[in-house]
Amino acid sequence: MPTKMIEIKNLQKKFKNNIVLKDISEHVDKGQVICVIGPSGAGKSTFLRCLNALEQPTGGQVLFEGQNLIGLNDKKLDQLREKMGMVFQGFNLFPNMTVLKNITIAPVKVKNIDEEQASKTAMNLLTKVGLADKAQQYPDQLSGGQKQRVAIARALAMSPEVMLFDEPTSALDPEMVDEVLKVMRDLAESGMTMVVVTHEMGFAREVADQIWFMADGYIQETGEPEEFFSHPSSPRAQDFLKKVLK
Amino acid sequence: MKGFKHLLMLIIIAFPMLCTPITALAANESSSTSSSATNSSQVASDDSLQKIKQKGTLVVGMSADYPPYEFTTKENGKTKYVGFEVSLAKQFAKDIGVRLVIKNMDFDSLLVALETGKIDAIISGMNVTNERKKSVDFSNTYYSGDSYFLINKGDKDKLVSAKSFNGKTVGAQNGTLQSTLISKEMPKATGKGLAKLSSLVIGLQSHKYDGVLMDAATAKAYAANNSNLYAFNSKLPNTAGGIAMAFPKGDTSLVNAANQTIKKVNKEQLINKEWIPQASQYMKSYKKQNTVLSYWRYFAKGIKYTLIITVVSVICGFLLGTLFALMRLSKNKFLHSIAVCYIEFLRGTPMMVQIMFVYFGIGAIIQSLPALLAGIIAVSLNSGAYVAEIIRSGIQSIPLGQTEAARSLGMSKNETFRYVIMPQALKNIWPALGNELITLLKDSSLVSVIGVSELMYQTQLVQSATYKGVLPLFITMIIYFILTFTLSRVLLYFEGRMKHAH
Repeated sequence: MPTKMIEIKNLQKKFKNNIVLKDISEHVDKGQVICVIGPSGAGKSTFLRCLNALEQPTGGQVLFEGQNLIGLNDKKLDQLREKMGMVFQGFNLFPNMTVLKNITIAPVKVKNIDEEQASKTAMNLLTKVGLADKAQQYPDQLSGGQKQRVAIARALAMSPEVMLFDEPTSALDPEMVDEVLKVMRDLAESGMTMVVVTHEMGFAREVADQIWFMADGYIQETGEPEEFFSHPSSPRAQDFLKKVLK
Repeated sequence: MKGFKHLLMLIIIAFPMLCTPITALAANESSSTSSSATNSSQVASDDSLQKIKQKGTLVVGMSADYPPYEFTTKENGKTKYVGFEVSLAKQFAKDIGVRLVIKNMDFDSLLVALETGKIDAIISGMNVTNERKKSVDFSNTYYSGDSYFLINKGDKDKLVSAKSFNGKTVGAQNGTLQSTLISKEMPKATGKGLAKLSSLVIGLQSHKYDGVLMDAATAKAYAANNSNLYAFNSKLPNTAGGIAMAFPKGDTSLVNAANQTIKKVNKEQLINKEWIPQASQYMKSYKKQNTVLSYWRYFAKGIKYTLIITVVSVICGFLLGTLFALMRLSKNKFLHSIAVCYIEFLRGTPMMVQIMFVYFGIGAIIQSLPALLAGIIAVSLNSGAYVAEIIRSGIQSIPLGQTEAARSLGMSKNETFRYVIMPQALKNIWPALGNELITLLKDSSLVSVIGVSELMYQTQLVQSATYKGVLPLFITMIIYFILTFTLSRVLLYFEGRMKHAH
């Protein structure tokens, strides 16, 4: 019996009068790789951001390791977020810090790990993502793909138990997409629990354990990649796949 | 919650009205009960003399740019107040057995200072008039002089009487008998008033005014010290009852004590026989070393205080600014409203008024508030409002993604602000902060109005001591420029370093 890492119960999110997430109930098992796909405006990013409470849901529950995130005080929430790494579409690296400092700042300030130890870990991570030689450079000296790999290393430096990816390759030039996907693929193979919002159907098909198809504020269907991509059951998914898999 | 914001605004606006006018009102009310102060046989039932004796000092306010009444000279590089009224004040202090403290300020600030308890008495060539009697108690008179015109020597043949000023411009020091005389007796002349007599004389020399009306002794002193100037009797009616000391309303025992001294002084004719000749000696002796540069110590002192005010106010202003910027950005409506009121009010009122309000207004509650501290408080509060807005714009210029990235890494709100937002914001707003710093350094010159010895104030001392107007101003301008230019270079250096670290 696999352990549930994240459990979502009747999740709802409203922005004023606009209901983005209507009623979502799902769960993510430990070690699972979930790819969330669907047309734009489906609420995928909002859904992902609700998982670490960057966006406060207006209804329902998000349980992380059995603990409800909704309505939690700031301090407890900060502690839970340490365990949930997040990678953004726009990288959001800190432009005033070197690559190395970007990675060490949170372990040093939040986890009180000493500078030397944190740098060592950071260098290991940079080697893993193939950017050890960029440690002393500043973010604006890097290409988009390199920035995103640093952002992944930065999130991994907190030793998270789950990684959330919010369209990590959408802002990249096409030739840089692969270098980022490769890092993510390696991460998935190492057993990391991942929730990935993506438009990379090839990646989803190859790496995901499960596909969640979202449209109109609901998860319309879930399934294993082979099954989903060859025999989508909902008309919305059929329509969507027809458009993207030309 | 919205009503609260209005209430707060009301309190802030009402506050100034609450503190100062009450003292003024009290003074007016008592004026009807106590009659002429020139009556020396009044029964003293108050403890004003007792209080002075207990505190051991008599604080006398004067406008020390009025030779031979009171003016500054330097002795061993230190400013010294001299003049026959200074001698009189010394005599008075000696007679009641206390130490004399002189406070030098603009003539038109003297009455406010007396009302708010900053000074115990005014001895500053103040003529007794019925209007002034409403707000102060006068001693007996000890001197009376006619009003003289001071003119440029070249106009000597054209300007011979009050009438010859028809259609011309005549200056007088604000709040003096002479300024009233111009408006009453010379309706066809244009009257101009300034706070400093020395500034008026500069204006005369640069032909901004055709003449300056002032007290006889002073006009003669200026003419004697500057060969380009000429003084003659205006023959305007002397409506005033002569010159006397002024005391707060109801300080009868103090007035009586002053009258004792004045009686003795008048009897022995000390003023005409001893003190005026002494004062003239000072005027002659410093005429010899009258070059502006020999007053460099004055400028040095001024620079020192200007820098003290600037440095302390910048630090306080920055801390206040950060605090109020955070309050303004806060979701807490109460804190937000306080910050908005503070910023809008401080930005919406002139700094000069704020400085005088802190000194005279707050100073009326806290009597011992020194002028330097009052100046620093006012400048800091003012700067805080501007810095708050700069910092707010800096914080808001940082993309939300930075906060989200930091929070998603488990950093708290405080850690995010300290390590991620503020360093980036600071870099963005550095040029604006630099601007504010330079403005602050320059604006610190406004503190001179409450008599803090900063650069501008010291310049005015040099002006009145040397009888030269433009040169000291020019030197001061250069000094300010050197200070601000150095500062802007330093700021640029740090801006460059922040850029490199990118």
